[in-house]
Amino acid sequence: MNPKLDLLYRLADDQLILGHRNSEWNGLGPILEEDIAFSSMAQDKLGHSLQLYMLLHELGEAEPDTVAFTRNTPQFHCCQLTELPIGEYDFSLMRHFLFDHAELLRFEALADSSYEPLALVARKVKGELKYHVLHANTWVKRLGTATEEAIERMQAALEFTLPYALGIFETTEAEPEIISSGLFIGEVELQRRWEASISKVLAQTSLVLPDLRLLTPVTGGRHGQHTEHLQPLLDEMAEVFRLDPTADW
Amino acid sequence: MLFSLDPRISRLELPDSALPPPDKAALDQFPTYEVFHQRKENTAYVYVGPVHAPEADVAFLFGKEQFSRRFPCTGMWVVLTSAIKVTEYGDDQQSVYDRLPLLPADEIGTADASGLESYDIFHLKKRGKAHAHVGQVSAASPEAALQAAKASFGDQRPVVNVWVVRSADLLRSDDDDRDMWTTTPDKKYREAISYKVQDRIDRFKQEG
Amino acid sequence: MYGSASTHDIPNQATTGLENEDPILLAEFEAHIARGEKIEPTDWMPQLYRKQLTRMIEQHAHSEIIGSLPEGTWITRAPGFRRKMAQMAKVQDEVGHAQLLYSAAETLGKTREQMLSDLINGKSKYSNVFNYPTPTWADSNVISWLIDAGAIVNQMANAKGSYGPYCRALDRICAEEAFHLKYGHDAVVHLATGTPIQRRMMQEALNRWWPAIMTFFGPSDKMSTHTEILMRWKVKMATNDACRQQFLDMYVPKIWEIGLTLPDANLHKNEDGVWEFSEPDWEDFKRVINGDGPCNAERIAVRRAAEENGAWVRRAMQQPQARYVRPLA
Repeated sequence: MNPKLDLLYRLADDQLILGHRNSEWNGLGPILEEDIAFSSMAQDKLGHSLQLYMLLHELGEAEPDTVAFTRNTPQFHCCQLTELPIGEYDFSLMRHFLFDHAELLRFEALADSSYEPLALVARKVKGELKYHVLHANTWVKRLGTATEEAIERMQAALEFTLPYALGIFETTEAEPEIISSGLFIGEVELQRRWEASISKVLAQTSLVLPDLRLLTPVTGGRHGQHTEHLQPLLDEMAEVFRLDPTADW
Repeated sequence: MLFSLDPRISRLELPDSALPPPDKAALDQFPTYEVFHQRKENTAYVYVGPVHAPEADVAFLFGKEQFSRRFPCTGMWVVLTSAIKVTEYGDDQQSVYDRLPLLPADEIGTADASGLESYDIFHLKKRGKAHAHVGQVSAASPEAALQAAKASFGDQRPVVNVWVVRSADLLRSDDDDRDMWTTTPDKKYREAISYKVQDRIDRFKQEG
Repeated sequence: MYGSASTHDIPNQATTGLENEDPILLAEFEAHIARGEKIEPTDWMPQLYRKQLTRMIEQHAHSEIIGSLPEGTWITRAPGFRRKMAQMAKVQDEVGHAQLLYSAAETLGKTREQMLSDLINGKSKYSNVFNYPTPTWADSNVISWLIDAGAIVNQMANAKGSYGPYCRALDRICAEEAFHLKYGHDAVVHLATGTPIQRRMMQEALNRWWPAIMTFFGPSDKMSTHTEILMRWKVKMATNDACRQQFLDMYVPKIWEIGLTLPDANLHKNEDGVWEFSEPDWEDFKRVINGDGPCNAERIAVRRAAEENGAWVRRAMQQPQARYVRPLA
């Protein structure tokens, strides 16, 4: 696949699917104020994905609505982390923490992309992602130093989520060209920065970061291989849209 | 198990019936922090409302989305409600400063600056409106700060109510954090103005 | 969004309790209101005023948080990016409004813990319309447009009331609701002027919701001593009938102009400019508001689950030195 398309689809699908998942918390959060904050970040993710699908559209792909609401599992390039059900709040927070650290670093790097339209988007959403990471850090630090119950839950969530989080950095065949053309620094370098970034926060908590080299990353998402959770998600998301994909809703 | 028309709810797998829950314990919802925002650079911080939060940094996270997601904002302050000293309320035409008892000079504080602290002063100009920041004073206590505020800002009228906050108790957003608000005006999907449907109605009527 | 629960709005006890209030303080309180000044939390106020406002603002807050559920039903299924993001923002706003209103009620002395406990124990009322289901996307759109429109009629009136914290909350809420109304209208117009499937979906949803909408403002007010006092104190700002007439005047033409019909053959504006309609089924209204509606149990169960599933998070975040004081304003 064309390296631009390859990169954009991965980024856009991640944000769409995670934004969709996180919106499931809307109205069900642990405290009203957090409910509001979490919804804002889910909306931001949808907004980011829309901007990226628009770049894809400019490159000749279908309209954002068509791309988002009519494809099926094998055509999605999100990492499997994003498609897992919301679970309990410990998991959703941990996923948010691990994903958004990578996302902030990714967009900071993309601000220097040789592909100017993408660099522009990256520079624009930097402030939003800064809030997302501040939010995630505050919660992980608080819960990761709180009651025994909270520390146990967050530790379990960390251990469960990490192999999926490592799947964020799964590369595709386009990776060498993505790097050589200056589109993006590449997943290996991103992962290196991410490890440093999450380690710094976790070091301020009672949580223990396992040796990442001993974990087996859950991959496949970037190549259209997904968990059993993605297709039901897509069917649900498109339930109304697919009643008539040509209609104006 | 509860089956709902809302697939999110069905996934919660709620039991069909359950005993009534016990009443919530005190502070289940945390104490409150009062939130102030600045809508534009170089304008006064204005009170927007309280959030329930366990600590100031969380209150900031909450205040940001509750009070500045829909309107322009360049900065935000939060302070624990119990850290605010409040005067009584006057009538809309008066100044509550006129009702302040005079403190003996030794309670106002000495010229010795070492015991002085900075306080932020907020005025309510009209009942039903919101408190706005008017400035800072140095004083040895909240009571003395109120006297100092009277000296500095007492000529403003009317002043229905005054809040006094030790400056160190206010958590303030950094200037570097302003970029957290830069895209707020771009989120048109949550603004009334982006829904323009009259053309569609007119077209429908013509065709009908 | 809020509709009057109304039958529960005005207490039925024989006395107003005013004979027990200090006449000088009472006169001062009434003078503030007569001058058009707002009452603020630490002002002296009659017990009846505090009690009635607490009940009213609390019910309004419950209506927002419960009201987020019928539209939340479609949050994962909204068709297309524009609708998806707006639906999220709207449901989020309802939660935000609940937060604002609980805070305003707290300034009167009832804690948020107690209000939430009363809600999930079924001790408190909320707007009855949210006890009905939203089986299709179009039902959600009907709420977004017409229930919010009704709520705005109510809230614009109440924003001119006498209690400062409630007015501040309502000013913000009304500003945000402008988006809800336009979004809802936009979505309804798209369906009503769309494909045959879309039009049918919208007409059926409107038929389902119209009886509930007609009860939204509550039955005609029985003018009592209480009602008169509460109107003088600017707690109750408009009669249920006045609100309903205003709503019909503003929205029935907008419904008809997009080719939709309303399931009430008697609905028309008479020569005096007053809307006439078939009397809603108030017995059914009472039955539902007292717990026996299609979604009462689910709404409470869901709210309760949210509270209980989040309990460990709140427990973990508690600070031992924390103490509660009422929010200031």
